[in-house]
Amino acid sequence: MRRALPWVGLFALFLAVGVLADQSWRRARLALPEIGRRELEPTVGQGVLLGVLGGFRTVVADFTWIRGYVLWERKNDRAGTELLMRAACALDPRSRFFWENTGLAVANDMGHWEIRRRGGYAKVPKEIQDHLLRGYAQRGMVLLDEGIVSTGGDAALLATAALVAELQLKDLGRSADYYRRAAEARAAPWFAARFAAANLWKEGRRREAYVWYRAHWLKVLRLAEDGSPDDLKELRDMEHELRLPLLQRLPQQSWEVSQPGFVPRTNEGVTAPSPVGGQSRK
Amino acid sequence: MTAAPAIEVRHLTKDFRVGLKGVKLRAVDDLSLSIPRGQVYGLLGPNGCGKSTTLKVVLGLVPATAGEVSILGLPSATAEARARTGFLPEAPYFHKFLSGRELVRYCAHLSGVPSDRVEAAVEEAVALVDLREAAGRLVGTYSKGMLQRIGLAQAIVHDPELVILDEPTAGVDPVGAAAIGRIIEAMRARGKTVVLCSHLLGQVEQVCDRVAIMDKGRLVLEGAVAEVLERRDRHVLTVDALTPAALAAAEAALVAHGARLSAVTHPRRSLEELFRELVTGSRDA
Amino acid sequence: MKAACHRSLWIARITFLEAIRQRFFAFLFILGAALVLASGAVRVFDFGHSELKFLADFGFGGLFLFGSILGVVMTAQLFFAEIDNRTALTLLAKPLSRAEFLAGKFLGIWAVLGVFVLVLAALLAAMLGWRAAELAQLAVERRLAPPECDLAGLALYASLQWLRLGVIVAMVLAVAAAARTFLFAVVVGALAVLAGQLQWLSQELLLKPAETGLGHAALWLLTHLLPNLQQFNLGDALVLAPHQVTAGTLPWVFLSGVAYVVAFLVLATFLFRRREI
Repeated sequence: MRRALPWVGLFALFLAVGVLADQSWRRARLALPEIGRRELEPTVGQGVLLGVLGGFRTVVADFTWIRGYVLWERKNDRAGTELLMRAACALDPRSRFFWENTGLAVANDMGHWEIRRRGGYAKVPKEIQDHLLRGYAQRGMVLLDEGIVSTGGDAALLATAALVAELQLKDLGRSADYYRRAAEARAAPWFAARFAAANLWKEGRRREAYVWYRAHWLKVLRLAEDGSPDDLKELRDMEHELRLPLLQRLPQQSWEVSQPGFVPRTNEGVTAPSPVGGQSRK
Repeated sequence: MTAAPAIEVRHLTKDFRVGLKGVKLRAVDDLSLSIPRGQVYGLLGPNGCGKSTTLKVVLGLVPATAGEVSILGLPSATAEARARTGFLPEAPYFHKFLSGRELVRYCAHLSGVPSDRVEAAVEEAVALVDLREAAGRLVGTYSKGMLQRIGLAQAIVHDPELVILDEPTAGVDPVGAAAIGRIIEAMRARGKTVVLCSHLLGQVEQVCDRVAIMDKGRLVLEGAVAEVLERRDRHVLTVDALTPAALAAAEAALVAHGARLSAVTHPRRSLEELFRELVTGSRDA
Repeated sequence: MKAACHRSLWIARITFLEAIRQRFFAFLFILGAALVLASGAVRVFDFGHSELKFLADFGFGGLFLFGSILGVVMTAQLFFAEIDNRTALTLLAKPLSRAEFLAGKFLGIWAVLGVFVLVLAALLAAMLGWRAAELAQLAVERRLAPPECDLAGLALYASLQWLRLGVIVAMVLAVAAAARTFLFAVVVGALAVLAGQLQWLSQELLLKPAETGLGHAALWLLTHLLPNLQQFNLGDALVLAPHQVTAGTLPWVFLSGVAYVVAFLVLATFLFRRREI
């Protein structure tokens, strides 16, 4: 019994230290997004890489990317290209660059590589071509979505996703949604709000487009140094198209009068008043 | 009340486990001895007889399998006992980047010399081993003899009551060995107990008061040097100017009294004595 | 207690002097410094990373990789040097307990690693500070937000890395106390560091929150025997995105690190106490 006592003491000591370590890790992991995000749940392989390389992983990510880029330029190894590019993303999940370019490569390029691999555009039937292009576009979107989560909603990445949704998937609604999120994110691109409203408008959701765009202009864009005159002009065009009564339109800004091409708005051609933000659509 | 002996070993046994199967190798077998204070005590024996193991158990470097060891009345494995002991291991190795003085200072601090006494203790130890001039040099530049002497200095810097020296003259030339012998005698003169392990039997014979001889882990012989070396069954007469006639008369007289003259020879001095006679003064530079 | 600290500090002092003279230390030190300085030249490959992040990653990587190698190899080497050269014989024959000896070895090696971390961190701070100032100027000209770079966060990160290396040293001392050879201590020590880096993953994979019972408790203890070294890799957050580190995180991480150091030193003392010198 006496001989076992020191071992019991050691056991108790490590138990206490383990409890302490648990508390510490619970807090520390939140500052490690590549590990801390539950929705990411890295695979065992990714986890081993992250664990083993520690502070070196982002440098390794860069060199992995170079290798993937070389394969991309050759255009003859789709699987290898995707594997290396994804590895770079896994090693440095906070880098927008890797997610963006991997997503674009998959969405825009790999469908065409696959068509060429199957014999070319003349040989592969149109339906198959469309199916492949759409399939790879979807795959690219999944990657971009993953990147958006990893980067904490990077605005530029959201804008890229919006572009892919619009051009490859021809899904204006989805594109508009991404543009909206980009407009509301930190360091939003100047065009995000405008394109969000435009895509919603093109999809026929004109009233919704105006309501959102107007609210966003009042909350965010108006505060810019120049008051975002181009966005205000778009809104004025929307107001004219929707034939909104004067009272429902944005108040005239003091600096608007001096803008080139300024046309004072009137109630001419206005239809029966409807509440701003209501569901009536033309 | 009589003072406790410097070292008391009672029924010490030490087994080592050797090899994968853990076969027991008995290095020390039921050893009991008592080393009195204030003497130079020689511990002798062939290689592998258990001397070094015994010393390591005494110093607490190796745990005993059975038995008890005490130093100056204290259990040997305690810091208090070690604080009153100095030790020079066989073929000592010291950090080459330290000077002799720095090494002794380091050991002084580890041995518990009060900080305000350290410098004085270091100078004293260095002077006793006659290395004052070389103490500022790096230990890496020392000769074998100097290494042994600086090792002695680190062992005695804290003025211990007991000093244990394991092969202090191994690999040292006769002049250096004689110097070490003088240092040992000086320590005895100061009332210290010195335990000396050595293969240089000539030196042990000269320096030690008592000896113990071990073989295969057991104590074979123990006693005062003068007693154990005397052959009481024989006598030596040293005669000056012995003529053949005087020799014949002496032999006849001895026979008449029942004695027998075994041999008539000239006394010899040892090579060591001759060597020292010739080269005294040619010391380590 | 005072005398024990005094003796341990003397062991630490000599261990420090011995370690700082080693060529291996100088080699890795120069390699680490070169890596930090070279990051400036390799910026062309930063692929639009925040440039500061790229610079920082080289520094973090150097501290992590070379610091870990130094921690493992130097600890084993300095411990076994005492055993193989038999200086341990001379030292432990003095009124110096094995715990004091190990504490002294730990402090000496940790101090050397502190020098390593300090110099590399200072170099990195100089690189980041210089480049951040330039980028801030550019940002003002282009009316953009300047990049975030918190040098105080870098100091905190350097302290965390020093503590992490302390955990590694204590762990390797515990291994060396039981090991018979230097090579074994290095290999097992390195594996232990690797396992420490992956400990968080074993927790995620093996410990399902819903499960309870003896098996779960045993698994929990097994996965927590080794320290979670990943928790010290907060460089990105501390230096480049300080708002990501919540209040209270750092004190817990420091406390956890110190606790592991103490636990491993206690284990090392326990394993070393009956070792035959």
